[in-house]
Amino acid sequence: MLEINNLHVRVTDDEGAEKPILNGVDLSVPAGQVHAIMGPNGSGKSTLAHVLTGREGYEITGGSARFLGGDLAAMAPEERAAKGLFLSFQYPVEIPGVPILTFLKEALNAQRKARGEADMAAPEFMKLVREKAAQLNISTEMLRRPVNVGFSGGEKKRLEILQALVLSPRFLILDETDSGLDIDALKVVADGVNALRGPERGMLVITHYQRLLDHIAPDRVHVMAAGRIAASGGPELARELEAEGYDRFTKDAA
Amino acid sequence: MNAHFKPHDGEAALIAALDGASGWRAELRDALSAQGLPAKRAEAWKWTDLRRALSGLSVAQGALAFESSRPADRESPVEHAPQNLLPRLAAALGGDALVFRLSDGEHLTLAARAEAGAGHRIVLVEVPDGAAARVTEHYGAGEGGFTNIAILYRLGAGARLDRVVESGGPGVIVVSGGAEIGARSRFHQTEVTFGGVLCRLETHLLHPGEGAEAVLNAVYLLHSGRHADLTSVTEHTGPGGSLSQLCKGAAAGGAQGVFRGKIVVRRAAQKTDARMNHRALLLDSKAEIDAKPELEIYADDVQCAHGNALGQLDRDALFYLRQRSLPEAQARALLIESFLAEPLQPVTDEAVRDRLSARLRQGLEGLS
Repeated sequence: MLEINNLHVRVTDDEGAEKPILNGVDLSVPAGQVHAIMGPNGSGKSTLAHVLTGREGYEITGGSARFLGGDLAAMAPEERAAKGLFLSFQYPVEIPGVPILTFLKEALNAQRKARGEADMAAPEFMKLVREKAAQLNISTEMLRRPVNVGFSGGEKKRLEILQALVLSPRFLILDETDSGLDIDALKVVADGVNALRGPERGMLVITHYQRLLDHIAPDRVHVMAAGRIAASGGPELARELEAEGYDRFTKDAA
Repeated sequence: MNAHFKPHDGEAALIAALDGASGWRAELRDALSAQGLPAKRAEAWKWTDLRRALSGLSVAQGALAFESSRPADRESPVEHAPQNLLPRLAAALGGDALVFRLSDGEHLTLAARAEAGAGHRIVLVEVPDGAAARVTEHYGAGEGGFTNIAILYRLGAGARLDRVVESGGPGVIVVSGGAEIGARSRFHQTEVTFGGVLCRLETHLLHPGEGAEAVLNAVYLLHSGRHADLTSVTEHTGPGGSLSQLCKGAAAGGAQGVFRGKIVVRRAAQKTDARMNHRALLLDSKAEIDAKPELEIYADDVQCAHGNALGQLDRDALFYLRQRSLPEAQARALLIESFLAEPLQPVTDEAVRDRLSARLRQGLEGLS
């Protein structure tokens, strides 16, 4: 479903200096599977999420990333999204003046339009949103507030998952979704994510810590260090990392 | 006087229209002959070159389509002419002043548009003590048109007025607005403009303090080739008054937005609470926005603040929306709309607020 081959990416900093940031990433996530990417800060985990979803500022200098057979580099961010690629942001962005309901409706209808479908009727849309919001303990009052404005870290992450539940994407990338969550919120978010697991859907869970993986059991775990996948294994790899830390990979890479 | 000054065709047409005038009309004619229309070199017009914009004007008078939702209560010859040149021109060439005396609960609408050539009108709106009323004004100008309006509001003690001004068109629009408000009154003004080849919207507010409240909010949204200048002067003359002023704008490449706001607090106007804020988005590197907020305070026990911030669309927010499938143009429009919506929030009538929001949304279509 997601096929990344020898992907090289660089960024240009404010002074114009070029810096390689992904150095040959190989990764394949088939439909129906959940893969985790763990790794120390600065290893390129979030960069990978941004490159896959098309954030500007990154230059692909080699290799490829394909999603459902299509070359991601050739698609605008909205085309990737319409094709079913969804990123749960590490830092969800505040959008003052745009109520969540309006935002959800515009996003859903933009996707339907891209697929050649008609807009969802208002009552059907409200029913869908209310049902999904209830799963995440999101109140109707909260849905009327502007997107992410004045939300706690936990509320922002729950809202990200609500968007995933409403948009029902083919592939989810969760970027540090556990950061800023207390244990109760973590459980709610993980339940939301697990509700999305299915044979037609893939997921990439990016995290620094093992604790999210206690709730979202991955099929495969990859360790990222210095811009490439340094090791891959089963769920037991996450527990090893939790016990031993990342030293062994950062040293190998250095 | 400048002995070498030579009026251009547009000025010559206006001067000719004042041929044979006497009194203040003759003074106006002489001023136009000596110095012409306000141009860049005048501080108050340095970002709004009216002289240049009207160089091709041929018809000096009488081209205005003016409508009101009901007839004026009376038409009154203008004896005390306004001081500034443009409202004075409106008074000299716009016929008798139209006087509307509003009743409690009344909603008056006014619309003016000069299709080609100049059209002038002077209007006086009175709101009696304790009455609450609404006025909605629409101003446009066709290509080659010059709509020149002077409108003065007089609010009695405890009166309330909601004024909404919508404007935009390919021609030149000048609206010289004035308000003299009574003790404990409330004057709430909301302007929405899409600009013109030149568009100058002035508000001169004489604020008595005495528990009176004023809100002067404005939104401008300018496509390429459009200009809008929101100029205001509020003079606080007595104690205990409040002013809340928020202007937000967005200018595309090749557009120019201007905000000039001045608050004067006289020595007697203690305990004045006045806030003025201008925030604008430059949608392109070729957009221009000029701003000059000014405070002039002679009283020592006041709360006054002003802010001015120019920026660009938040790239993180844009990516966030696009990651949620919104095409770039739609994502930009949504962000601009949400940015511009704030000055409309205090509008209490939901139907009016919705209509203004819808106008903005419409204005966002096709914006680069």
